[in-house]
Amino acid sequence: MKLYLELIILLPLLGGISNALLGGRLFSRRSSEFVACAVIWGSCAAALTAAYSYRSPEVVEIATWLSDFDFKAPLTLYLDPLSLSLCLMITFVCGLIHLYAVGYMRDDHCYVRFFALLNLFVAAMLTLVLAENLPLLYLGWEGVGFCSYALIGFWYSDPKNATAGRKAFIVTRIGDIGLGIAIVWMFELFGTESITRLNQMGNLLPVGIVTALGLLMLLAAMGKSAQVPLMVWLPDAMAGPTPVSAQIHAATMVTAGVYLLMRMFPLIGSSTTVSAAIAITGALTAFYGATCAVAQRDLKRILAFSTISQIGYMMLGVGSGAITAATFHLLVHAFFKALLFLGAGCVITTLHHEQDIFRMGGLRHKLPGTYWPFLAGALCLAGLPLTGGFFSKDGILSAVWRTGGMLYGGLYLVGLMTAFITAVYTMRMLLVVFGGPSTPLSHQAVDGADLTENKDKRMVSGVGPLPRIMEWPLIPLALLGLGGGLLNLPEYLGGGLLHSFLAPLTGHEPTLPHATELLLQGSAAIVALAGTATAWLRYGGQRRSLRLSEAQQPARGLQAFLREGWRVDQLYDLLFVRPYVRLATLLWQRVDEGCIDDNLDRTSTQLGRFGNMLGGLGQGRVSLSLTGMAIAAALMIAWLAWMTA
Amino acid sequence: MIVPLAHVLVLAVILFCLGLICTLVWRSNVIMMLIGIEIMLNAAMLVFVGGACHWGTADGQVFALMIMAMTSAEVSLALALVVYLHRRRNTVDTDEFRELQDQ
Repeated sequence: MKLYLELIILLPLLGGISNALLGGRLFSRRSSEFVACAVIWGSCAAALTAAYSYRSPEVVEIATWLSDFDFKAPLTLYLDPLSLSLCLMITFVCGLIHLYAVGYMRDDHCYVRFFALLNLFVAAMLTLVLAENLPLLYLGWEGVGFCSYALIGFWYSDPKNATAGRKAFIVTRIGDIGLGIAIVWMFELFGTESITRLNQMGNLLPVGIVTALGLLMLLAAMGKSAQVPLMVWLPDAMAGPTPVSAQIHAATMVTAGVYLLMRMFPLIGSSTTVSAAIAITGALTAFYGATCAVAQRDLKRILAFSTISQIGYMMLGVGSGAITAATFHLLVHAFFKALLFLGAGCVITTLHHEQDIFRMGGLRHKLPGTYWPFLAGALCLAGLPLTGGFFSKDGILSAVWRTGGMLYGGLYLVGLMTAFITAVYTMRMLLVVFGGPSTPLSHQAVDGADLTENKDKRMVSGVGPLPRIMEWPLIPLALLGLGGGLLNLPEYLGGGLLHSFLAPLTGHEPTLPHATELLLQGSAAIVALAGTATAWLRYGGQRRSLRLSEAQQPARGLQAFLREGWRVDQLYDLLFVRPYVRLATLLWQRVDEGCIDDNLDRTSTQLGRFGNMLGGLGQGRVSLSLTGMAIAAALMIAWLAWMTA
Repeated sequence: MIVPLAHVLVLAVILFCLGLICTLVWRSNVIMMLIGIEIMLNAAMLVFVGGACHWGTADGQVFALMIMAMTSAEVSLALALVVYLHRRRNTVDTDEFRELQDQ
């Protein structure tokens, strides 16, 4: 088991390092790509073997790491149902994304940097997932943050992309403060950093402290998982290459925050305040993301906001204490979101980096290999009955219902409303991108928005060829997304696989009566179908061209408000960025240059003048020397007289 | 001795100060500076002589004689230098001779 766990992390790490050191020099392009993909699939194989030989939760110490007096943080890995299921998902999805990336990056010269970072990204995430103590988890946490920064700003020669990378880094760093404080504080309180032991000691502390710890971790999760109010980095993170977006959204980055909360839930879940805060954050974020996604016209931004929204659902699940449901949604979401991103990447590549959905169309016939998997992904996202997304989302909603009370009742309604909006925007995206008779390629700028990445390629019209390696990773993802429900069937269908697998971790989660559950699922299904119907009424058939011509007009009112993400960016600019810039300017121009530098300058001028004066004395004039001598002699005599007196 | 030692010393101090002022102030003429130096030496000699009288020993007077001899030697040497300098630069202003200054 030790070997397998080591291999799971070390293989991607090794791949990243060897690509970084040898790629481009010793490796040819093919071998570089091969190494990058092979290590991930090797890691996946190791995870599968580990799953096969898994019997009970296991702690494996690989080496000592930090050790000082009482403080010990060895390189210890912890395999339990939660980390095992996440490892399997991460390695599998990332393996497919890597294969896809080979096709996507085929024209890029910086492939070595790309694959090295992509591998490191996976290695960091696996470290985070498998870590048994918090410092090791933090190592993975920061590794993920760094790799995402480097990959979002991958095409850094465009300042816009570099800024997006920095934004992601800085915003997530705000959340990391919370985690950093929580880690140090927990050591101070408990004298240990081991997650398994911390989770057993939750009841030793007063509720107030647990609440504070939980809120700190919630802050960390808000940053990493792009929750309200720290969600502003995720839509901008679309500046990176599409495989990176897929990896960030599906497997490696944004789920880290949810994972942290799930991991530490036995500790922090004992505080009802924390649970409620998590649930409220999740519901709010889910609603926020969904409403923003309705108004977007950039294909990747729609998906980005949908991720924010779906991660919000997971948080809602965690906040309701339904770890199983949250994990279930996390896994299924990883499958269909990776699928949607990769499909979007196919569409964007085919249309020569066109991202505006209102300039797409007719792709159903031109890209059947992308259309059908994308359709499957969209059905999952919309939560249409019998897809994986339906079961996982319903699991969360029924968990919220089960918790009961005024608060959770309200949150349930918000969740249901969000499900409706989700269906609307998903189907809108699907109908506008793939529906219609043909691809309109009148690439004149619409409402001044510059949505194309590659301006010189605008002139090229028509549909470009797509490498086959970009289309076939979609198929297994589509199957997993559609059939994801089998992972965790509802109770009345014989109970879930995941539910019994995670049972030792979560304890016995209460289940609803079958009738109630059926009723909840029925209402969820009706809501999803209603959303789909609404989207069809607005964008289906002939009405699509009407919307297309409407989209030529600049957005105004509510639509513009939603498209700009509730104008949160402007708000933060007003509240934080501008005062900060003003303060920095003040400190720079007034304090540093005006006060400190100026004083030093003046002192040096005075010293120079004094030196010149002294220099004037040494000009070799006899009279002056004599005067000096006389004064010195007088002083000496005076001193002697003083001493003897 | 009729004159008290204190009076001799006061006179010597006055004489010395006059010589010093002469040296410091009259710098445009090196000969005047030499004269000032001579006056200061005379002040020193006066102290020696006064001391010798006060304590009734001959040491101070012997020293005064030695200073006279030394002074005459010094003056002859200095005057030779003055002549040399005057020949070279056609002036006896001390401030004109600054070749040794550090520049």
